[in-house]
Amino acid sequence: MENVTEKEVIEASAPQASAEDTEVPLDKNVRLMSPTRMVVRRFFRSKLSIVGLIMVVGLFLFSFAGPLIYTEWGEIELDESGKTEYSVSETSYTVDGKEYTVRQTTEKSLKDNFLAPPSSEHILGTDNEGYDIFVRLMYGGRISLIVSFIAVFLITILGVIMGGIAGFFGGAVDNIIMRLCDILICLPGIPILLIISTILDASEIDAKYRIYLLMIYLTFISWPGTARLVRGQILSLREQEYMVAAEAMGYSVSRKIFKHLVPNVMPQLIVSMSLSLGSMILYEATLSYLNLGVKAPYAAWGTMINIISTNQDILQNHLNVWVPAGVCIVIAVLGFNFIGDGLRDALDPKARR
Amino acid sequence: MFKYILKRLLMSVLILLGVSMIIYFLIRLMPVDFIQDKINAINQGGATVSEETVNAMYEMYGLGDDSFLGILKGYFSWLGALATFDLGTSFVYGIPVAQVIFEHMGISFAIALIATIFEFLIAIPLGITAATHQYSFRDYLVTVLVMIGISLPSFFFGQMLKDVLALKLGWFPASGLVNATASFTGAELLLDYVRHMFIPILTIVILSIGARMRMTRTNMLEVMNSDYIRTARAKGLKESVVINKHAFRNTLIPLVTSLAGLLPSLFSGAIITEQVFDLPGIGNIALDAMNRGDIPFIMGYNMFLALLSVIGVLLADLMYGLVDPRVKLG
Repeated sequence: MENVTEKEVIEASAPQASAEDTEVPLDKNVRLMSPTRMVVRRFFRSKLSIVGLIMVVGLFLFSFAGPLIYTEWGEIELDESGKTEYSVSETSYTVDGKEYTVRQTTEKSLKDNFLAPPSSEHILGTDNEGYDIFVRLMYGGRISLIVSFIAVFLITILGVIMGGIAGFFGGAVDNIIMRLCDILICLPGIPILLIISTILDASEIDAKYRIYLLMIYLTFISWPGTARLVRGQILSLREQEYMVAAEAMGYSVSRKIFKHLVPNVMPQLIVSMSLSLGSMILYEATLSYLNLGVKAPYAAWGTMINIISTNQDILQNHLNVWVPAGVCIVIAVLGFNFIGDGLRDALDPKARR
Repeated sequence: MFKYILKRLLMSVLILLGVSMIIYFLIRLMPVDFIQDKINAINQGGATVSEETVNAMYEMYGLGDDSFLGILKGYFSWLGALATFDLGTSFVYGIPVAQVIFEHMGISFAIALIATIFEFLIAIPLGITAATHQYSFRDYLVTVLVMIGISLPSFFFGQMLKDVLALKLGWFPASGLVNATASFTGAELLLDYVRHMFIPILTIVILSIGARMRMTRTNMLEVMNSDYIRTARAKGLKESVVINKHAFRNTLIPLVTSLAGLLPSLFSGAIITEQVFDLPGIGNIALDAMNRGDIPFIMGYNMFLALLSVIGVLLADLMYGLVDPRVKLG
């Protein structure tokens, strides 16, 4: 990436010999391109990566700029315009051999306008409480995106530090860190999250912050993957000549690790980061679906789908309540996966295309 | 080889010890209190429970002391029992934990096994066509479709299939494992099982095909670029022979290895899928136990999962050495 300074010759527009004959400077005849530009160009050549980028940028705009533009409803603002519910009951009587049917219509006025169909007032209708679904999708997106970015950021930092130390020093340090990784990798994911979530329930933490705490736990069990990746790379890089040179220059250990070794792991790190963004969004959504993550009245995509696990009527007859949230999750995860894939192909020096 | 396995096994025991300690402490910190729930239930029945009885009950279940040392003591007594292959008795079911796990594992295992077979049967041919037609329309189509599969949240996709196939079209039952109102026998019962398990299995297969297919594709591409494939083509072999006989065999190596890694997921149960379709598998039981504070069962279940993943990693490494003679273990 950026740290590689030598320019690579990509295309020669004229044969070398003629360039010497006319004594035109080399730059004029040969197009020079930095490796970074090459990667960017290769990334944008793939249609899927562009689609992924559009999906992710679109979702970002929708969730962060959306609530600023569309201000009709708030995240936890109930539509209290009221709703009238009709119920009809029939009773049959038999008097003197004749049958009479009494049909009774009850009109019930309710305070909240819940389960409203999509209209100009509510673009996607309202949910079972009377919240505007379209607006809650935006706020749900904020939570999902923020939380997964924080988690991936922390995982990467922790993974790079631990993996870097393990790979560079080797020996006992390496052994201890790697065994710690083994232990953390063996911890069952969802069951432990369930346990931690019940602990959080009792500790009376604000509903807004519990998802962050859960994601910190996710970070804590997810860094071994990154650490292993970094360690593996550093083990092989450590033996290369430029590291001998760095040694000879008398550089400090931290400089050798973080300036000379880690930047060379960056390509793999970037790919794994973009792919784990997708999986973090899925994790967050699953937690919220199990009612462990973001809790009502706050919105999250998973929480918005949670209602159908208990309410068959909404599952069958009010698709506008839960399908949009699921579509948003799919778009987000798919977008990050496309980007990750595109980056992998673009950063792979072996790929010729 | 033998020494290597022995070393790995010893290491696995140490890993499991670490895992069990973390899980035990977390579980003991859970505020869900099985004894309190039980006493509340008794109180609601009209009877009163004296303070001494309550304390005696806590002592009996080994939950008397919630200080650090108390939990540590509890952990070591759990560990001591484990040394005699005793996982304790489930609070909720009143039978040994191992028995509860064993009884509910079957259904989870059946679903996972069938799903895995279909996953391999569908994913491998897809991966091969995508690789042999790299960058063609077919490649893009398959890649995009399986990527969508990977990106679907299991609960959302499961509910969607349930809504369409079971509730709207009525082709399959929406939840459960058997038809509770009818009493089938023989072939009819089997058919009933199949009908109930169809949507859960379909959900799992569609969600998991992607990873396998992309693995096949990547490996196939790598193999197709190697020299011996060029040689095979230069000899004038038919393309189908080159792909199916020469290339595919080497593609199998990582697939077989991944099979060993799949072992844990065969037994561990899919918590979310089982919850969505209300199947009495081990995952659903564990979810229930977690809500009711059944400490021995939660502990046993989590350790069972940890044990499976340790075995899975070990088996994957051993298989790798077994299948690919170029790999030396040591």
